[in-house]
Amino acid sequence: MAVAVASPTVTRPTAKARTVIARRTARRSLRSAVLWGYVFGVTVASSAYSYTTIYKTASERQRLDAVFGANRAVAALFGPAVHLDTVPGFTAYKSSMAVMIIGAVWGLMHSTRLLRGEEDAGRWDLLVSGETTLRQAVLQALSGFAAAAALVWAITFVITAAVGQASSVRIGVSASLYLATALVSSAVIFLAVGALTSQLAANRRRASSYAGVVLGISYGLRMVGDAVPGLHWLVWTSPLGWVEELRPLTGSRPMAFLPIAAFTLAAALAAIHFAGRRDVGGSILAERSSREARLRTLTGPFGLTFRLMLSSIISWVVAVAIGGALVGITAQAAGSTVVGSSVEQVFTRLGAAGAGAKAFLGVIFVILAMTVGYQAATQLSLMRSEEAGGRADHLLVGNVSRSRWFTGWLLAIALSLLASSLAAGLFTWAGASFQGSGLGIWSSLAAGMNIFPPALFILGTGALALGFLPRFAGAVMYTVLGWSALVELVGGFVGESHWALDTSLFHQMSAAPAVAPNWQTGAVLAGLGILMAIVGHQALLRRDLQQE
Amino acid sequence: MAHQADFAIRTQGLTKRYRDVGALVDLDLEVTAGEVIGYLGPNGAGKTTTIRLLLGLARPSGGRAELFGVDCVRRPVEAHQRVAVVPGEANLWPELTGAETLHLLGRVHGRVDEAYRDELIGRFELDPSKKVRAYSRGNRQKVLLIGALMTRADLLLLDEPTSGLDPLMEQSFRVSIGEARERGQTVFLSSHVLSEVEALCDRVAILRQGRLVEVGSLGQMRHLSAVTVEATVAGAMPDLDGVEGLGGVAIQGKALRCQVHGPIEPLLAVLMKSGVESLLIREPSLEELFLALYGQNSYHAEEH
Repeated sequence: MAVAVASPTVTRPTAKARTVIARRTARRSLRSAVLWGYVFGVTVASSAYSYTTIYKTASERQRLDAVFGANRAVAALFGPAVHLDTVPGFTAYKSSMAVMIIGAVWGLMHSTRLLRGEEDAGRWDLLVSGETTLRQAVLQALSGFAAAAALVWAITFVITAAVGQASSVRIGVSASLYLATALVSSAVIFLAVGALTSQLAANRRRASSYAGVVLGISYGLRMVGDAVPGLHWLVWTSPLGWVEELRPLTGSRPMAFLPIAAFTLAAALAAIHFAGRRDVGGSILAERSSREARLRTLTGPFGLTFRLMLSSIISWVVAVAIGGALVGITAQAAGSTVVGSSVEQVFTRLGAAGAGAKAFLGVIFVILAMTVGYQAATQLSLMRSEEAGGRADHLLVGNVSRSRWFTGWLLAIALSLLASSLAAGLFTWAGASFQGSGLGIWSSLAAGMNIFPPALFILGTGALALGFLPRFAGAVMYTVLGWSALVELVGGFVGESHWALDTSLFHQMSAAPAVAPNWQTGAVLAGLGILMAIVGHQALLRRDLQQE
Repeated sequence: MAHQADFAIRTQGLTKRYRDVGALVDLDLEVTAGEVIGYLGPNGAGKTTTIRLLLGLARPSGGRAELFGVDCVRRPVEAHQRVAVVPGEANLWPELTGAETLHLLGRVHGRVDEAYRDELIGRFELDPSKKVRAYSRGNRQKVLLIGALMTRADLLLLDEPTSGLDPLMEQSFRVSIGEARERGQTVFLSSHVLSEVEALCDRVAILRQGRLVEVGSLGQMRHLSAVTVEATVAGAMPDLDGVEGLGGVAIQGKALRCQVHGPIEPLLAVLMKSGVESLLIREPSLEELFLALYGQNSYHAEEH
């Protein structure tokens, strides 16, 4: 008699199971993709509307084109200004560089966070132990990024197309499609670059740094290419240069998509290839796993904070110093073009009254203030990660009080912000002196010191949030920072009422060196920052430490 | 009567609520100096919450806690002066080496027996020149263990201290706790490894759903539970229906296995009638006590 033997049921992996990482990546990208799509779209919209509001007559538009279009210093910083006498030309010029940089930074931060960051946290061990390999997992994550980029693109396109319908703007649907594609290109490139550096580097910070270096070199190459006659070919060696060469709305060059597509594809394929050649948690570039102990600075909680912050401090000070030196060098040339009434009007609205190099630097120092404010936000997030990761517990169960831990970190961050502020002043002066712009060292250092109080204010908001809502400390700081930056940059061109501009933190500071620093306002901003930190400190003493 | 400061740990009505959920409810616990006490309970019973409250990392919703007579909430730094801790999660700074981490932990504690630290590094076979990032989970746990033991602190608060250690290193841990006991240090050992608690602890405290349900020595607790009897009779197995306190009866031919609550004499009297060929009476292990106290179902229900 035949006996039927029941074999164990084996469930074949469903398509859903095989794409779990792709869907998870897409889902985790959703919020930031919607946010940045909206920001990109609004940037385009505000640029178009501001132009139609401010530059109403043909003569004003032609003057703007004559002033900025021929200026190589401005081209070096913000890309070539072409057809500024038209709405599309100004819209493309005004929005492209900002969106290109923001998109690239988002792309590299996002992909290193969801790839190497997740691996650092050990969560990929679980994911990759399913019915997949590391190579397939990276491929899936890249698919998730592609979905996120498509969402950013779609939102940017919808807003651009909607704004383009206005009779005063007139940007067609196909031109909107092209513009949205161009604007999202840098994000796509650096999502792939971040995926590649996540395979090369041993931890998220390194992966972000490597991708940041690619971005920095890319920006530098296109800057030199745009600024120096005869070296324009350098633009074609830079990923950001390719995006610039797409020239949306001003004589499109679709052939620039070729190097963009080839580079992105190469980076993505290299990421997939390298993923298959390493262990989960391992890296292609080997890291030294052991070294001699360096105990000299590790004397206690402050020494530890200094050690943990050292690479961040150096990176920020160097970045601000290089940025300051570069704008210092271009200040004389750029400032000489700030003579048109419309440009002066914009500069005046931003607080930098007058013309010349100082007026130009007045606006530049506002941008540097945003940069140092961003530094405050990232460094306070580092402090929060010590609590969230449970590492602060080791100190707080010893002889370190919460007060000492909290004030030690804030003091270290404040000193780091001070160093960046002074570096901004010093190196801008050095750059400006090189071109003989007549900017005095004390005037430049004072302008540097002038950006310190807003950064302290941002730090204060973070410290306050850390006391009451530690999980939202980063979100609170980035919201204050993002809102202030958006209102300041867009509001200056839109020319809306002062009510909107007054909600920007950066509008409260004086635009030194265009005008004399207002130390009283600075003291109020710094005082408010310190007050918020004190309230945050009191709240910290009364709550549980919260890990994540 | 014990003086207040004779207690290494003393809690009165210590309570922690997260919204409406009581993570720890009315904990009254006294641990005398020099005692080694095991702290047991399933996941989510409130063990880690207790330790975080004792260290002032979490604020109590009610009650109070003292370490050597010092209030943990009002004077946390003073309370920590005689304490060293192994936390439940081995989160360390990935960029520091093992040696740097131990140096930092020593600076933070303020007191290190350097000769003993070096001995512990050898005993636990730790390579201190490696970065924490390169350590396995077990090696990170060793760093934390050495960091706590090297301080020779009067009170060691240990939350799952052997998590991730191999059996040889677990043995080294037991040796180290034995040394701590000999030096008169107090050890508060929160653990899931019941054999470890049984081997090391003078007393055991058992938590259930945030409440302390038993405290006592193993001897005292065994009286609360059943003994296991294994017997073989020469004749036919007698009728055991009338025997009081009998449970878990398993009969296979002439062999009997059962648990007896209370006096064992009535069972012996019945068995003697059929002639006893062999008899084994065994006290319950801590694991059996623990499972008897929770029951398989309630244990798993609590885990979820």
